[in-house]
Amino acid sequence: MQSKSVYKIPEGKLLKISLKHIDNRITEIQIMGDFFAYPEEAIEILEKKLKHSFLNRESLLKKINSVIKENNIEFIGLNAQGLTEGIMMCLK
Amino acid sequence: MKEQWRLLKTENNSAAKNMAIDRAVLVANSEGNAPPTVRFFTWSPPAISIGYFQSLEEEVDLDVCNKLGVDYVRRITGGGAVFHDDELTYSIVIPETHPQIPRNIMESYGRICGAIINGLSNLGIESNYKPINDIIANSRKISGNAQTRKLKTVLQHGTVLMDVDVEKMFSILKVPNEKIRDKLISDVKERVTSVKHVLGRDVSFSDALEAMKKGFEEEFNIELVEGKLSEEELKLAENFEKFFFGSKEWNHRR
Repeated sequence: MQSKSVYKIPEGKLLKISLKHIDNRITEIQIMGDFFAYPEEAIEILEKKLKHSFLNRESLLKKINSVIKENNIEFIGLNAQGLTEGIMMCLK
Repeated sequence: MKEQWRLLKTENNSAAKNMAIDRAVLVANSEGNAPPTVRFFTWSPPAISIGYFQSLEEEVDLDVCNKLGVDYVRRITGGGAVFHDDELTYSIVIPETHPQIPRNIMESYGRICGAIINGLSNLGIESNYKPINDIIANSRKISGNAQTRKLKTVLQHGTVLMDVDVEKMFSILKVPNEKIRDKLISDVKERVTSVKHVLGRDVSFSDALEAMKKGFEEEFNIELVEGKLSEEELKLAENFEKFFFGSKEWNHRR
């Protein structure tokens, strides 16, 4: 299945998610929007690492936080909770 | 004696060329081959730049761009889509470790925006930094800014709106729902202003540039000395323009 979401991060920027999923698992994800991430290229790592993840709020948040930590990603106008929310909104 | 930084004035370049010059200066500075640099520039033809993380086709109506002769490019900085028409654009490239640059990214936005706020003040416009990346005058946005850090070097570029044509901007930018286009235009008109609008008169590019130049000199207690791109930077810029910012692979990657 393919779906999209648009989510305004509270006190942050506009997040747009494009998601493909099968059996409640992510098969492809694009994280887009007018936020900032340092380093920028880390977003591609995050997209890759989220493949095959379960579409479950708790496990997504955990996964996102661990990728952020591993890769020293600094988000501005976006955060792990907001990103999780944006992904979960694709299922509504 | 005050520290000297380089001042570049490069008018009327294409979108790909402008972004290529910023990146070339960043690379040269990171290798110790270029001093801290402040550049003022314009865009010809007018152009849309989108943020690193944006989808080109979702944000920009490419058919309208082609029809109106508006250029487009993806930036290496995050942030939103910007229509570069009647504006003064600046960029600053400086080592991350320079004592004038806060290590904290948000603080460094504020510091560099301070130069633009001084510049606006030199034009008679009172303004403030509004985190994350805007400068506002009379509660309306007059400048947008975006920063990246690569190769231990800071690149921040941003706009100072000289005049703004919101209708034209929204003919190029896609809106999520056609039904709300008029509402969106009136909202943006409420939220955005320009040097011309605040002062009620036109300000020439050279007067605005002079005011901003002084703004940077005041903020960083430096002297900006006009210079040129080096041979190395010109070569780098040519390659970045041709193979990177001018490529479909880069601009359409999202």
